[in-house]
Amino acid sequence: MDQEKLLVNLVKISLGVLLLRSLYLQIIRFPYYSALSKKQSIRTIEIGIPRGKIFDRNGRVLAEDEPCFDLVFVPYDLKHPAEEAALVARYVSLEESNLKKIFTRQYRNPFDRIVLKKALTPEEVASISENAFQLPGIFVQTGIKRRYVLGPAAAHLIGHLGEVSEEQLERWKDRGLKAGDVIGQDGLERYYDDILRGVPGGILVEVDALGHHRRILGEKEMQPGDDLYLTIDLSFQKAAAESLGENEGCVVAMDPRNGQVLALVNYPAFDPEDPGKSLFKPGKPFLNRAIQGQYPPGSVFKIITEVAALETMTIEEHDRIECQGEMTVGDVIFRCWKEEGHGWVDINLALPFSCNIFFGTVGMKTGVSKILDYARLFHLGQPTGIDLPGEKSGLVPETAQSGGPLNIAIGQGALLTTPIQLLSLLSTVANGGNIWKPYLARKVVSGNGKIIRDVTPSLLRTAYVTGETMEILKRGLKNVVAFGTGGAASVPGIAVAGKTGTAQRGTEETGFSTHGAFACYAPAENPNIALVVFLDRGASKQAARIAGSILKKMLLPLEERGNGESSLSPEEENENF
Amino acid sequence: MKISESSPARRLLGLAYGLVAIGLILLFSASKGIFTRPVAGIFKGGGVFFWQQLLWITLGTGALVGARRFPYRNFRRLVWLLYPVTIVLLVLVLSLGHGRASRWIRIGPFNFQPAEFGKVVLVLTIAAYLAENDINRIAVFIGSLFLAGFPAALIFKQPNLGTAMILVLICLVIMFQAGLSLRRLLAVFITVLVSSPLLWITMEPYQKERILTFLWPQRDPLGRGYNLLQSKITIGSGGLIGKGYLHGTQTKLAFLPEYHTDFIFCLLAEEFGFIGVAIFLGLVYLFLREILSIIASTRDEFARLVASGIFGIFFLQTVINISMTLGLFPVAGIPLPFISYGGSFMIVALLSVGILANIAENSVMF
Repeated sequence: MDQEKLLVNLVKISLGVLLLRSLYLQIIRFPYYSALSKKQSIRTIEIGIPRGKIFDRNGRVLAEDEPCFDLVFVPYDLKHPAEEAALVARYVSLEESNLKKIFTRQYRNPFDRIVLKKALTPEEVASISENAFQLPGIFVQTGIKRRYVLGPAAAHLIGHLGEVSEEQLERWKDRGLKAGDVIGQDGLERYYDDILRGVPGGILVEVDALGHHRRILGEKEMQPGDDLYLTIDLSFQKAAAESLGENEGCVVAMDPRNGQVLALVNYPAFDPEDPGKSLFKPGKPFLNRAIQGQYPPGSVFKIITEVAALETMTIEEHDRIECQGEMTVGDVIFRCWKEEGHGWVDINLALPFSCNIFFGTVGMKTGVSKILDYARLFHLGQPTGIDLPGEKSGLVPETAQSGGPLNIAIGQGALLTTPIQLLSLLSTVANGGNIWKPYLARKVVSGNGKIIRDVTPSLLRTAYVTGETMEILKRGLKNVVAFGTGGAASVPGIAVAGKTGTAQRGTEETGFSTHGAFACYAPAENPNIALVVFLDRGASKQAARIAGSILKKMLLPLEERGNGESSLSPEEENENF
Repeated sequence: MKISESSPARRLLGLAYGLVAIGLILLFSASKGIFTRPVAGIFKGGGVFFWQQLLWITLGTGALVGARRFPYRNFRRLVWLLYPVTIVLLVLVLSLGHGRASRWIRIGPFNFQPAEFGKVVLVLTIAAYLAENDINRIAVFIGSLFLAGFPAALIFKQPNLGTAMILVLICLVIMFQAGLSLRRLLAVFITVLVSSPLLWITMEPYQKERILTFLWPQRDPLGRGYNLLQSKITIGSGGLIGKGYLHGTQTKLAFLPEYHTDFIFCLLAEEFGFIGVAIFLGLVYLFLREILSIIASTRDEFARLVASGIFGIFFLQTVINISMTLGLFPVAGIPLPFISYGGSFMIVALLSVGILANIAENSVMF
């Protein structure tokens, strides 16, 4: 019959299709599915990713891993989530309602261990262990935690760790990251994450779909990350943090002979071991002011105005101008900070006294575009290239948007600089014109002591300025501290050269106050330290005082300054010429 | 009538029990794995399933022997009792059942699924009806659609889309065999297609999900698409010769859920590879071929239609079940005849084989 024939053909075709489909899946796609099958049944139980250590220039530890005790739980093994949450909340500083939520959530793999809290205190470990019988499914296990020797005092410099975000996973696909990995989230930890982060080791186990370990297949050795040696001097960093105290602002210092950054401190800061708790604190504790804060440079910029005026021969060393405290340009009244005026001053007096009338007048004569050209010559308006994430470029405006020669000449108007740019400017003056790239990582050393990378100073550019101009400028900067506005920065027996800077901050609504800055180098004749102190709100005098206190700690022998830390050691003095 | 050594009935029985044996071998392997589904709150050891299946096979063999001896023409009168009883049971399941899927009725220690028995009853009913009435009369056509549609709707309501669909398709096979013109058949298909949006509206969310997941399995690889993906991984990783008996990792490590019931074909493909699959499909072909030759040699119209309906059950369930594991069809919850773990359908399948043997022995004209 026709119908049966049709049915036989239907059977043949249907079973034929099934056979061909099996052939496709089992023969042609076999490598693909076989790999998938193996991958999902073998899992590595990670013991933790050991990170490389971070050392200061003298080999003193700044950051390292250390063993700790973590509180973990296995969702499947919890017997009474509510009671256990209450009990845990009593002994460990965790919120009860939060715990309850975590305990009662649905987990794809309820047999996996989940970390509730890292790095328990000894008391917490004791309380949890004592009550273990009431806490089925909750226990203490050993883990790794990052210890930061200087804590908040180096928070922005070193950075902190954190779980990789989904966005980062997407962006850094090729870095071998997976969800849940801990990576550097700020500062050097982030910038050098690839170097510091090791390859996780662990035990290879065969698991079933529930995560039960069926058998151990082998062990994968972990590969610790490489160690990082910095240009930072732990003593300098400490001294800077101490002297800055609780003033909102930052201190950054480097060796003007090579660009090695010696200290970088910001306040307010966060606790790098527990950054989460500072998230909502006022004062932007995560802002790395030294490289990310963009402020009007104020009178520090008179250095550029002076160089521009002298180099373009707009004025000569002994040209004098009378300051009467104010002057009228068009219908604008332009005031000096000193109401009664400085009288007749030449450039040798105008810089130490920071006379606005003198520099305003000189600025008008020189012209905005010339001044801005010199600002660019000294590498302002672009990032210095320091090896930290998120550096800002500041702003050297176009002539038309600058706000006029009077403002530009005294570092106001549309100009913006970061503290590290001012530091770079002072270093360039200190060494006579070499613009070194500031850097923090000096070498990378593997776990077995092999030097993997050796970083040498890198010259960005040379700002060619005539010897006479340099000499006049340097003398002026020295006199700023000797008898001018920067007297508070003086150090007995050692000549310090620097420049104060004050700029208006705030708006009509928030109320006006000033930024205070002091940028300097020392010793004036043979400088090995360049230093910038910047205060969010405060006078430049205060900034100068802080700079002086830091310089005393670093330059004077112990007995001559009463108390404090050791200075740069003699061999350090010679090391980097 | 004297029965020769290699009669169609013997060959049929041999092939059926060959498939049953393969099913037991696979279930034994499955019982070595760990089971993901907690039974009454505890993780039940796998061995239970093997022994239970053996019990079902025994009961099914009893049903087979009975059906083989029973004068099959009496079924024709019996349907006027069996059909209403089935409808009552299906309504009962709906009203007794609680929870999302109410498919079982509890009788003593056994849970039984009226829907599975409904398949055979429907085959007998429609066969009886169409043996006496001309399918190409509109009233008869609509009548037989109603006979199938009523229980199908009750089963759909359980909700059990897969079985409901099978019921309607079996009905169509019988109608086709009764001489329904291809044009009418086409008309039915078009009607179903046109009314499918209506069906979509009445579907349970999980049924919609299954269809969407089938169409776009990448939608949610760890959620709803999980079964489908794992099913393909399991089959694909078997390769040419398989991972070896009792050595499947996908099934043993429970990456693939339901590997002892709806997805047991994957276990075969994983442990015995493409060669195993080819041999299995070959056996299935011989089995279906045997049924078709019985149909072809039957002169009695009722017997022919009954055999056609049973052919429909085995053919459709086998093809749809395997297509589902191969990712050619949405996951529908249809067991693989003789192989999948499950009592009701095993008994129904063996009972059906008994009826076929009965027909082969008693209505075949040489």
